[in-house]
Amino acid sequence: MSNSTRSSPPPLPPYTGPGSPQDVPPLPGSSPLDPATLPEPIRDELLAPDPVAIDTSSDELKDGLNRCPKCGASDIRHKPGSDLLICLYCRNEWHGARVEEEFGLGIGLDELSGTVIASGARDIAADAASLMTFKCTGCGAEVTVNTDNAMTARCHWCRHVFGVNEQVDNGAVPDAVLPFHIRKDDAVARIRQFVDKRRFFALKAFKEQFTPENVVGVYLPYMIVDGKASADIAGKGEIQTRRYTKGSGDDKKTYYDADVYRVERHVDFTVDDLPLESSTERGNLDTRVNTNNIINTILPFDTKNAVKWNASYLSGFSSEKRNTDVQHLIPRMEDQLLSIARAQVEDSVERYGRGVRWEQERLDVHGTRWVSMYLPVWLYSYHQPGSNGGMLHYIAVNGRTGETMGSVPVQQWKLLLTAITVGTFLEGIALWIVGTSS
Amino acid sequence: MSDDSGLWLLLLGPAGATGLYWGLYRYYRNTDKSHAFERETVVDAKPVTGSDQKIGQITGTRETEIDGNNVQSYRKRVKRLESDTG
Repeated sequence: MSNSTRSSPPPLPPYTGPGSPQDVPPLPGSSPLDPATLPEPIRDELLAPDPVAIDTSSDELKDGLNRCPKCGASDIRHKPGSDLLICLYCRNEWHGARVEEEFGLGIGLDELSGTVIASGARDIAADAASLMTFKCTGCGAEVTVNTDNAMTARCHWCRHVFGVNEQVDNGAVPDAVLPFHIRKDDAVARIRQFVDKRRFFALKAFKEQFTPENVVGVYLPYMIVDGKASADIAGKGEIQTRRYTKGSGDDKKTYYDADVYRVERHVDFTVDDLPLESSTERGNLDTRVNTNNIINTILPFDTKNAVKWNASYLSGFSSEKRNTDVQHLIPRMEDQLLSIARAQVEDSVERYGRGVRWEQERLDVHGTRWVSMYLPVWLYSYHQPGSNGGMLHYIAVNGRTGETMGSVPVQQWKLLLTAITVGTFLEGIALWIVGTSS
Repeated sequence: MSDDSGLWLLLLGPAGATGLYWGLYRYYRNTDKSHAFERETVVDAKPVTGSDQKIGQITGTRETEIDGNNVQSYRKRVKRLESDTG
């Protein structure tokens, strides 16, 4: 609403100094200052390379098309039961490059320094979208891929297969992928075997709806960490020096004398390929509210065989996107490194027969190397209705080793009834013994 | 606590029922399972160093082990001291 009688405010004085809205921000990656005019130490810092130390991106796949090196067709699939890619047009087969050799991930653990992050493990941009669109070079159509659960899509007009291969900043594209080795039939058999051993007390609805053929192959996001660390642990230990009894008959009691020691231990160690869930949901292992510990249990994978990222390996499989960055996972990594250190020093305190009570611990992380990886899991899920949204039960099969673990919902009344029946039977025996002996 | 009348045997029923319930529940739900990264990760450790200093004696205790023995509870965190390198 304008008021014609009101006089317009005086114009603001022009402000064109640094930081004013009139300033055009510098292009990404460029500096508003000419480094050549700056003192040498500052120039060196400005011109230093970015902290991303290992570039695992594939320039040749950036247009979304993975072409057969022999015939140029784009219909590339993963050959089940192997690490090979196969061209569905000319049946040519080839092997993806192993990241271990390609980027030297298996070496130099002892020289690790600082935090080295591979390009696929970079921080996720806050404004990154899940949908990615490719312009088909064959027919011009636009093909969209939802990176929340898929990494490939087929052009509906000319049947080109597009894969998300560019390491965009939404965390969907890792550095490496470990292809499925265990076939679906095998996974179904393992799940069936797992449940067959747990049928009697299983929830009736679960048994009725049990269809292991519905198992889904999912690539789950992990951070694979190499690290070099030192740990110091201190506490008290006791060595028994004498054991004796006092009293007689039913009053006989055993007593112990012991020497108490102040125990300190130091260990330097490196860890190779420690896997950490990089999805917040999967990383939550609270067994009171979920059964993600089931998926955690089927670790580890033979991550040494992971191949350089190529979305063609994911064709026909579902995928889950990473949503945590390296700095969010550092506390969990440090916690696990401390646990590893504690396990390492256990043998050195064997002489303390009465045990050791560790009271203080310290961890110095000298260097870490982070690689983002998709690992293959066959997942069968069952949602058990209940309060607070119920519980989602998983039976998970490691897509490489076949290790199977699951959570089968329990028919509570049946289990309770059995426990009470057995308890009553045992109590009857106890009463009989007490009755006959008194 | 045992006594001459053997009344402790009466605990057999409740203990058996509870033990069976938890045993079967865990067999079905596997709530106690997780990845044993302490054993299953490739760790290359240098020889452990350290010191052992006698600081006292205990006489006549009835406890069979040190109070708060956590030598095998790797994941039970104790007081964390600040590190030099962060």
